[in-house]
Order: sequence, then structure tokens, then C-alpha cells
Amino acid sequence: MSTPDHVLVVDDDPDIRTLVGRLLEKNGFRVSKVADGKGLRQLLEKSQPDLIVLDLMLPDEDGLVLCRNLRSRSNIPVIILSARGEDMDRIIGLEMGADDYLGKPFHPRELLARVKSVLRRARSLPGDTQEEDANTTYRFGGWVLDVPTRQLYSPKSKKIFLSGGEFSLLRVFLNHPNRVLSRDQLLDFSHGREIEPFDRTIDMQVSRLRRRLGDDPKKPSLIKTVRSSGYVLAVRVERGGDQHHDTDDSSPVD
Amino acid sequence: MTGGLEKIVVRIDADLAEIAPGYLENRRKDLEQMPQALASGDFNLLRTLGHRMKGSGAGYGFDAISEIGRAIEEAAKRDDPSGVEYGVAELAAYLERLEVVYG
Repeated sequence: MSTPDHVLVVDDDPDIRTLVGRLLEKNGFRVSKVADGKGLRQLLEKSQPDLIVLDLMLPDEDGLVLCRNLRSRSNIPVIILSARGEDMDRIIGLEMGADDYLGKPFHPRELLARVKSVLRRARSLPGDTQEEDANTTYRFGGWVLDVPTRQLYSPKSKKIFLSGGEFSLLRVFLNHPNRVLSRDQLLDFSHGREIEPFDRTIDMQVSRLRRRLGDDPKKPSLIKTVRSSGYVLAVRVERGGDQHHDTDDSSPVD
Repeated sequence: MTGGLEKIVVRIDADLAEIAPGYLENRRKDLEQMPQALASGDFNLLRTLGHRMKGSGAGYGFDAISEIGRAIEEAAKRDDPSGVEYGVAELAAYLERLEVVYG
């Protein structure tokens, strides 16, 4: 018999914890519930959930910051469940590395469907290229991406800020250099994580990544558009071990 | 007092039969807490209570509680005691007339 998936619910409202907990338990999940960021940290010290349902408005910490911290050190899928339903909150949540976002009030069955979908996406790929390169440093066109620290360095050794989505996308390109990747493949290879499953959003992510890399959007030299097909990272990529850089700052390029 | 008013019948998922009564009981506690918060001018607490109602009501199948919660939260953000009072009265009337059917 397989072990049930373990979902951690982080919400300061006890009625929401009860509702989500009941819903998931009735559908075969094991559920842990905590009320704040401190509880989340304590739980993560002793166990590794398969998925986290995270409220944004917690009494002790901003859920968006928690989400970003989570993403920087783990691959646990995160679904944000929040009454902060503004479009900008949704966008920032996804950019901070959340896998999905559902506004409150919500229909319990919709949350259940999203939990299943996110878990399915997280497990859908044969082999885990993202795990394989977890200790890798990539060098391409004078640039360096150090995967363990998630740091990108320009040819002048300047540290360049990357959002979670941009990091994920760049990693996919570096794993598949000189190969045309469709938008669907970009989504799949990135585990659907940090990239919304809409073509236009992937285009926007590519556009932002080009800016980070100082690539001219009208005549890109690194990430090229292949009409009707997708994108290709057109540069030689070397994989190596540890890379040490003395860095100055972490200013965004743009 | 409300004996002459029609019941509001709400049908909700049978899966929620064990937890819905507790949820409604918590809203009755809100009804006791909110007038006290109003009296002491604690609009932060009122905003939080309204916000939680807004976020949870429809999930339990009580869409009206989400709507009332939204109104209370907005009124509390404006430091508007009469708006909050109106919301509290709406909630009291709704709970009074509510009849839940599971299935």
C-alpha cells in the first residue's frame, strides 16, 4: 500500500485549517496544520511534506517572503491560498515561486483538483534533470549560473538577480542547449513550477530572462526565437563543479 | 422574534456535515465579539473577523457569510462603525433564518 501524500496547511484561520484538512483527509491525504510561519519552520525541521498550501496573510510573517524562502531551498510544491485576491498578488506569488494560486473564498473541490494537479505535474517527468544538476555550475557565453546558490554572474562577475521563474527557465535552457524547446516542453521541463501554464506567460518569462542576460530582444544572441516552434539557447554550455566568485552587488540588470 | 421570517435553506456537501455546525457556532461567537470590538473601537479586530468570514464562508457553502464578511471588512477598513453594525445585523439575521440541508 502506498504512503499517502503529506500536505501541510499554513493558515491563521482555524476554520480554514479545519475545512482544508477535512477535505484533504477525506480524499486520502495526510494533513498537518500550522497557524503561522514559526509553525511552518518547526514542522519542516522534522518532516518534508509533499505539498504546502500557504496563506499569505499570516500573523508573524509575510507569506510571500515565506514562499520565496521555501523555493530557494526546496522543491516542495506550494499552492498559495489567499484572500489577497488582487492580480498583482497573484503575479507576485507565482514569481516568488508558487506553483499555483487560489483566491479565497474558494470552492473546496477546486482546491482539491489543484492539489492533485500540482502533485501530478511535480512528478510527471521521467528522470529529474533538475535534481541531476543540483550541484552544477554552468558556464555559457561568459556567463556563470551556480545552481546550488541560484546565483547568476555576468561576464564581468557581477551578480545578477533572478526571480524563481527566471532561474527555473534558465536552468531548463542550460540543460538542453542548442535544442529547440517548445513552450509545452519549457513548461514540462521546468516541472510546471514557477511558470504559469499559458503560452504568453512563458513568452514573458523568456523576455524577462533575455533582459537579465542583456540580450537584445529584437536580435537576441543567446535565447533565440524559432518561429512556430519555440526557443533555443544558442550557445555552448559547459558544466562544471564548484565556482567561486567575489561579488559586488546583486542589482538587477534593468 | 424572527418566527415570521422565511427560512433560508442552504444545501451543502454531506462531507461537511461534521464540521459545518462548528463553523456556524464560531460565527455566533463572532456575533458576541464584534459588538465588544465596536464598543472599544478595535477596527483591526473587526477587519480580521470580516476578512476571515469573507475567506471561509463560501468554502463551507455559505456564500452569504463571505459577502457579509466582505462588507464588514471594508467598513472596518474605513473605521465606519455604522457599516460594521449593519454587517453584524445582517449576519445575525442570516444565522437566525438559516436552515442547513446536507447532501
